[in-house]
Amino acid sequence: MFRNNYDSDAVTFSPTGRLFQVEYALEAIKQGSAAVGLTSKNNAVLVALKRNAEDLGSYHKKVIKIDDHLAIVLAGLAPDARVLSNFLRTKAMESKMLFNRPISIQKAANLLADKAQQNTQSYGSRPYGVGLLIIGYDESGSHLFEFQPSGNVLKYKANAIGARSQGAKTFLEKNFESFDDLNDAELIKNGVEALRQTLKDSELSTSNTTIAIVGKDGLKIYEDEDVEPFLEQVTVEEEGGDDDAQDGSGDERMEEDGAAQ
Amino acid sequence: MTSIGTGYDLSNSIFSPDGRNFQVEYAAKAVENAGTSIGIKCEDGIVFATEKLVSSKLLVSGANKRIQTIDRHIGVVSSGLVPDGRHIVNRGRQESKSYKGIFKQPISIPQIASRLGNYVQVYTTANSVRPFGISTIVGGHDSQGYHLYMIEPSGVYWGYQGIAVGKGRQSAKSELEKLKLPGIKVKDAIKEAAKIIYTAHEDFKDKDFELEMSWISEEFTNGRHEFVPEDLLAEAKKYAEEDEDEDDEDDEDDEDEEMAE
Amino acid sequence: MEHDPFKWGRPDNATYGDYDYRISNAKNTEFPSMHTQQPIVTGTSVIAIKYKNGIVMAADNLGSYGSLARFSNIERLIPVGKDTVVGISGDISDLQYIERALDELEVENDYDGASHPFKANHIHEYLNKLLYQRRSKLNPLWNAVVVAGINSDNEPFLAHNDLLGVQFSSPTLATGFGAHLAIPLLRKVADKEEDVAHVTKEQAREAILQSMKVLFYRDARSSNRFSLVTIDKDTGISFEKDLKVENMSWKYAETIKGYGNLQKF
Repeated sequence: MFRNNYDSDAVTFSPTGRLFQVEYALEAIKQGSAAVGLTSKNNAVLVALKRNAEDLGSYHKKVIKIDDHLAIVLAGLAPDARVLSNFLRTKAMESKMLFNRPISIQKAANLLADKAQQNTQSYGSRPYGVGLLIIGYDESGSHLFEFQPSGNVLKYKANAIGARSQGAKTFLEKNFESFDDLNDAELIKNGVEALRQTLKDSELSTSNTTIAIVGKDGLKIYEDEDVEPFLEQVTVEEEGGDDDAQDGSGDERMEEDGAAQ
Repeated sequence: MTSIGTGYDLSNSIFSPDGRNFQVEYAAKAVENAGTSIGIKCEDGIVFATEKLVSSKLLVSGANKRIQTIDRHIGVVSSGLVPDGRHIVNRGRQESKSYKGIFKQPISIPQIASRLGNYVQVYTTANSVRPFGISTIVGGHDSQGYHLYMIEPSGVYWGYQGIAVGKGRQSAKSELEKLKLPGIKVKDAIKEAAKIIYTAHEDFKDKDFELEMSWISEEFTNGRHEFVPEDLLAEAKKYAEEDEDEDDEDDEDDEDEEMAE
Repeated sequence: MEHDPFKWGRPDNATYGDYDYRISNAKNTEFPSMHTQQPIVTGTSVIAIKYKNGIVMAADNLGSYGSLARFSNIERLIPVGKDTVVGISGDISDLQYIERALDELEVENDYDGASHPFKANHIHEYLNKLLYQRRSKLNPLWNAVVVAGINSDNEPFLAHNDLLGVQFSSPTLATGFGAHLAIPLLRKVADKEEDVAHVTKEQAREAILQSMKVLFYRDARSSNRFSLVTIDKDTGISFEKDLKVENMSWKYAETIKGYGNLQKF
């Protein structure tokens, strides 16, 4: 079998100018569970699927609060995300300390990008193995960024990362143009619906779903029973809007959805 | 490629028996596969333009800027690995700040080009780092007038009247030569730059792109590096699109002629 | 010739014997280290008052070296961005240091796009942290600073900051001699925050001009040349430079009693 000689570290270019170690790091994101981010004019929302390693284990935290106006969701290596979020928290505090103003979301995103780039250009350290969606609200409005271990950070209207995120992306591409004028509940609803497109054999529940929303009133993170209203809302909407006769619980319905994909 | 399989291309800072550093050449490949960027030195200013390839329709148009500012009077655009482009600009900002701290005046453009050239060169001399996967166009205004430079992954840098880097550089360069530089005004150069980027985009026909442009002019921007205002940008795009239609017709004619021959 | 460049420029060894390196290595052991003990070249008062829609601020153009009127063209009102002007009194070299720090701040803030400009309250916070940090190192920036501008709620903002890191806000502010001579005059126009709503730009400007005149009469470290700035939340910053104190009277104060010729000892 052909042996790739150019993929053993981040400081070797392949003959075509590629950095395989960096590309492999991007693959690590897909090992993580899915997360969806989307924005309206006034809000930015994260909806994420939590995993538990075993039935008796707890679910892994997906959303990390950085500041009252800023949060991230991770897909990939959680410890790497913790390093990045600690770094970002320090920077957010620095802005408050020096200027008494919350850090701008663009600046927060750029800081992460530049930190990740360093690990792609020197021997001895590996690229980060985690992808992030960054949401925030500042004086220029609501923002969503995607962070990659390559040091790329891009601003999106809506996006998804993690395992089977393509399903969510397809949903978002179909619907994102209508997001701008949605209120907070409607935006969350679209987020939940997008996340549902990434499911295969599982379903969204209060224990495996995290929702975060940020707007001019700050950041709110919903976990456990607090997400229930949003899950119910989606189910009810579907039942009302769908021509298919629905009987039984929402759970069964979701299984149908899973099979349909 | 004679480089592959010899073992001399697996590490940076290694010479092959015929005196080449293959890793630097591979880094240059990363530039050759990237969107085109150009810089034009005019009688009364500098114009930058870049072909920003759009990877997803979920991206926020007009955000995700590629042209950056080192100091008020210095602009930068690079083609290649985007995060490397941010790295070199961060270094440029440090150099500019340090110069200002010592000499209490803004750094000159030849100075900043020289310092960045040296910095890039260092990344070709050690196997603990990789070369920069970018070619960087640096331009600005100082007490000696307008200057334009381009720095290659090897650290080589020259001054130019007009320069193009990236995938479409060949066609862009031949268009630049037709402009009889530097005998052009910035306002005209903005239109021509847009046209050149549209022409160069032929090499990336299958991908969507966004045109990004900035300028420096004593008359119009007070010697500062700024993005081209919306109205001028729209005008330039219109000019480029009109011209593109004509070119298409010309191309068809050419093909006919070729067939006739 | 002597080929060792390190020996150039020193007394010739052949003539004066070997150089005693204890001379160049000598340390001043009297003090462990010395920081600023006093200002050297100084600027006098900065005065400012709020009006309904903004702020008027003024400072003269003199740089004094002790009692010597050393420089007559010092600009002590420093614009920062589009919403803020910082008026600085005290040491002029420290003023220049602050000026450069604020300029760098502005450049760095634009690194991530120009969509988050600094407002006056941000600049004030930063200067306070800078001044307090320096005083905590026992190496103060020897200044009193007035930050005037528009804050992040788009309201007029006026606050004071000094070499000790003390900060406070008031509808009228003055540093140095102005705190004694100008404040009573300015407070006649705007005593409390709620008075500001009734003060017009013209009234504020007139009060500042009157105060600059009194300061030139009474402050021996002042000059009659000054700069004045108006920061309006609708029309922005407008500078008036090279102004002169006008309509002065240097007549003999014959009707004034209590001092001068009628003074009884």
